[in-house]
Amino acid sequence: MIELKNIEKYYANKGVKSYILRHVTTSIKQGEFVSIMGPSGAGKSTLLNILGMLEEPTYGQYEFMGEDVVSLNERKRIELYRNHIGFVFQAYHLIDEMTVAENIEAPLLYKKVPGSERRSRIADMLDRFNMVAKSDLFPNQLSGGQQQLVGIARALVAQPSIILADEPTGNLQSAQALQIMELFKKLNEEEGITIVQVTHSEVNAAYGSRILHLLDGVIKEDVTVSQTV
Amino acid sequence: MFKLNLKIILRSIWKNKISSFINVIGLAIGLAACLMLLIYVMYEWNFDKQSKDSANVHVVMTNVLDDKGKIFVTFNGSTTAFAPLIKREIPEVQYISRMDYGNMGLIANGINGFKKKSKFAESDILKMYDYHFISGDPKTALTDPRSVILTESTAKTLFGTTDVLNKTVKYQEKENLKITGVIQDLPENSSNRFDYLMPWSFYEIIDEGAKDLNWSNYSFITLVSLRPDANLDLVNKKIDELVKRNNKQISQPNFLFPLSKMHLYGKFEEGKSVGGDIEQIWLFTALAIGILLIACINFMNMATAKSEKRAKEVGIKKTIGANRRSLIVQFLAESMVLTLISVIIAIVLIESFIPVFNNLLNIEMSIPYFNSYIWLGLLSVVLLTGLIAGSYPAFYLSSFNPTQSLKRNVEGKGFFSFSLRKVLVIGQFCFTIILIISTLVIYKQIQFIKNKPVGFDVNALVEMPQDGQLIEKFELLKTRLLKSGAVTTMYQSSVNLSHHGSNFTGLEWQGMPQPENKVMFNRVGTTYDYISTNGIKLISGRDFNKKYASDSSAVMVSASAVKVMGLKKPVGEIIKMFDANFTIIGVFDDYIWDSPYQSNSPMVVYFNKVGTGAITMRLNASNNLQQNIETITSITKEINPSYPVEIKFMNSIYAEKLTKEKTLGILSNLFGGLAIFISCLGLFGLISYSAEQRTKEFGIRKVLGASVASLMQLLSLSFIKMILIATVLAAPIAYYIMIKWLDNFEFHTTIPWWIIVLSAVGTIAISLLTVSYKAYRTAKSNPINALKYE
Ligand SMILES: Nc1ncnc2c1ncn2[C@@H]1O[C@H](COP(=O)(O)OP(=O)(O)O)[C@@H](O)[C@H]1O
Ligand SMILES: [Mg+2]
Repeated sequence: MIELKNIEKYYANKGVKSYILRHVTTSIKQGEFVSIMGPSGAGKSTLLNILGMLEEPTYGQYEFMGEDVVSLNERKRIELYRNHIGFVFQAYHLIDEMTVAENIEAPLLYKKVPGSERRSRIADMLDRFNMVAKSDLFPNQLSGGQQQLVGIARALVAQPSIILADEPTGNLQSAQALQIMELFKKLNEEEGITIVQVTHSEVNAAYGSRILHLLDGVIKEDVTVSQTV
Repeated sequence: MFKLNLKIILRSIWKNKISSFINVIGLAIGLAACLMLLIYVMYEWNFDKQSKDSANVHVVMTNVLDDKGKIFVTFNGSTTAFAPLIKREIPEVQYISRMDYGNMGLIANGINGFKKKSKFAESDILKMYDYHFISGDPKTALTDPRSVILTESTAKTLFGTTDVLNKTVKYQEKENLKITGVIQDLPENSSNRFDYLMPWSFYEIIDEGAKDLNWSNYSFITLVSLRPDANLDLVNKKIDELVKRNNKQISQPNFLFPLSKMHLYGKFEEGKSVGGDIEQIWLFTALAIGILLIACINFMNMATAKSEKRAKEVGIKKTIGANRRSLIVQFLAESMVLTLISVIIAIVLIESFIPVFNNLLNIEMSIPYFNSYIWLGLLSVVLLTGLIAGSYPAFYLSSFNPTQSLKRNVEGKGFFSFSLRKVLVIGQFCFTIILIISTLVIYKQIQFIKNKPVGFDVNALVEMPQDGQLIEKFELLKTRLLKSGAVTTMYQSSVNLSHHGSNFTGLEWQGMPQPENKVMFNRVGTTYDYISTNGIKLISGRDFNKKYASDSSAVMVSASAVKVMGLKKPVGEIIKMFDANFTIIGVFDDYIWDSPYQSNSPMVVYFNKVGTGAITMRLNASNNLQQNIETITSITKEINPSYPVEIKFMNSIYAEKLTKEKTLGILSNLFGGLAIFISCLGLFGLISYSAEQRTKEFGIRKVLGASVASLMQLLSLSFIKMILIATVLAAPIAYYIMIKWLDNFEFHTTIPWWIIVLSAVGTIAISLLTVSYKAYRTAKSNPINALKYE
């Protein structure tokens, strides 16, 4: 599903190149649950953003479902993105002016999904996350865990093939974090959605099938998790 | 999508109440002021353009040459002989009509008489102006010499109805005229207004001057309508030749000038139009655009100030699949909605303030709802304002990379936007300070002219027109009024004390430097008690006196007349005018009778029993004013029953001379005030936003021990700096503009340094107040509140 070859990313500052990613080469297959770990500043978010097409690598090759992302034009890339990728952030990044239902609806609007289908999918999501009663509330009226559930619902509603999550539980208490992780595991196992998450927690990483250890922009380790949890 | 967008737009407008309020109210006031000024500009612009064929109608102008053959005056008067000749000889002429300048004449239904504006004209005028006839036939309405066309309101005043066809009215107590038509009232912005219109053929019956076909009396107006395909230059060339061939003695060439341009381009130099009131129109247009710009700047500044928050929104939307176009549409739609709300409020504002405005400017305007240009204009204002205001977030922010905008990296890139914001605020306050300085200078100039002595005591002095019986029975009136005790002294004269025109050059005196006098003198014909009534200062000699029979050929001259004539011992000298000799018996000090802004022509006041037209009276100061006026009114009415009594106070006549500048003063006051209000509103918005942004920083600083004063300084210093820069920029510009304006007046005030300092200090004080209110509130707030949220 994802093929990275020799990905490099650096920022040039007064002629000095500061590297964030170096020689990153890896592949992620459909249905995998990958955790990216590493100390702060290692380049985890950058790697995730590149995977999610939010940033471009300075060098290297990136193939997503057989398409060469680097050479795609803007319109095609947005198309690819809308159809296959869902993002979840540590800071939730919900739109403050929109209600829960509207936040979930937004990606469908950009994808031009017809009204009746939109309504049924939103109802589905609200149902699934037990949020029917909260559908008309605004993000600041929800707890952090609830906000993150909305964030995940928003990522899922467009029926992506992959979910990219940047420290999704970083702002949450462990009970809520556990709930989110269970959810990811279920999505991965029952619906076959590929999941790539950045995390600091060994516990969270253990939910996945594979861990990439990143240090100073280089993949130091690529281990398969034995399913013991 | 659109519906949801609109819902969210309205929701976020509601959520950001302060900034929305500032945007909407500021823009609404700006739009209202701008539209109000533009309606006024349109009113002036449409002068004499209402009738269908107005573009073809021209007025005959006359150039007056001096002895060197140079044109020194151009005016819109023409002779009686001109029209018949032109009509016969120039095929391009379609219609032609001679008219008089219009007068206030008595018109009566039985004993019910009113003084209303009359006009005489030839019947072609009905073809040039498409008057709307309520009754009567335009083809025949002016055929019979003893006919009259009334306007709707004249008919209503006289008869209480417009159903008055074929009824009879009495003109000037003498002539019975049959009503042959009633037309809709004429628009205010027309040069040839009247309350009733009579045929030229009737004018020829009652006025010698109109009947006499000559080339010397320029007391008439001639309107000429050319065929649409006519070439004006060619026609003017033909007229020139024709007039020169038929009028050997006099060399004043005539030419046609478009009537629709007279009002705005009516200032002539050497026979060429060099502008006129159009300059004022440009000024007002600039003011209108300036005010709107100030409001738009607020709008834009609020948008850029909020860009950080908007950037995050852009980032989120992009990560859930929005493309750039949809974001641009969203931001533009948002600012259009705000603009639209502002326009609606603006229309409400205009509707409620237009009566006040009309009152101030003494005009009659309304929102021309049925004018498609207005709607087109409004629509383009909405689109343009919305576009300008929304363009920054729409085009700039939407271009950001989503991860950059989410990481709040915009600040670095925002350097440009921040300095742009500074420039805009400086520009705003520059404009405001210029307006404030102008207002103060205009005020000072009006004060200066007001305080300049007019040369006599204007208080307790009144005048009235010498109409009807008052001409023949003046002596009776004088005896009765003096006996009544209401009046202490009075006189009659050919013109009012304050008058315009009545100039002539045909004056001769002993020891003239040239055989022919070229200097314009002003003349006033009067009899006894001139000086003793008006109180003008006698420098030497005496007033006319019944004791001296020889006073029937005596004259008093002004000090400037003595100077022009170069007389060493003026009293006793003999001067000659209209082929008669007059002996100078007195010299009086110059007084203001025409424009208070420049020195008036030298004046001669000569003894003349038939010089009638105005009666001037000094009221008895020991009586109650109201009582005096009542006494005068009842005695005058008794002697001259057909005419209304129109007593005017000299002090208000002199106050009226300042009307135009007062209007300018009011307008600059009003719009200067609005400008500073809108600018401060914008400033308040910016500082509130900046305070909101820095709540956390302030909280931390306070925890670390910062004082309220130092926090306030932190927040307001940069704003105050901008105002200071604006002041430094604005002062010289305003100084230059106002020096140029003052140059228009021969008598003018100076611009003292304190006006500049006052405006600067005033503006800074007001903006300081605006800024520090918010800064204080922010600095005083509890740091825990600020830090509680992550
Ligand atoms: N626009 C930028 N310019 C320069 N350096 C950057 C920029 N964005 C991120 N970095 C640097 O890249 C490094 C990796 O960042 P990131 O991928 O967010 O790390 P992680 O998510 O692993 O903590 C950090 O050291 C950060 O300072
Ligand atoms: Mg990170």
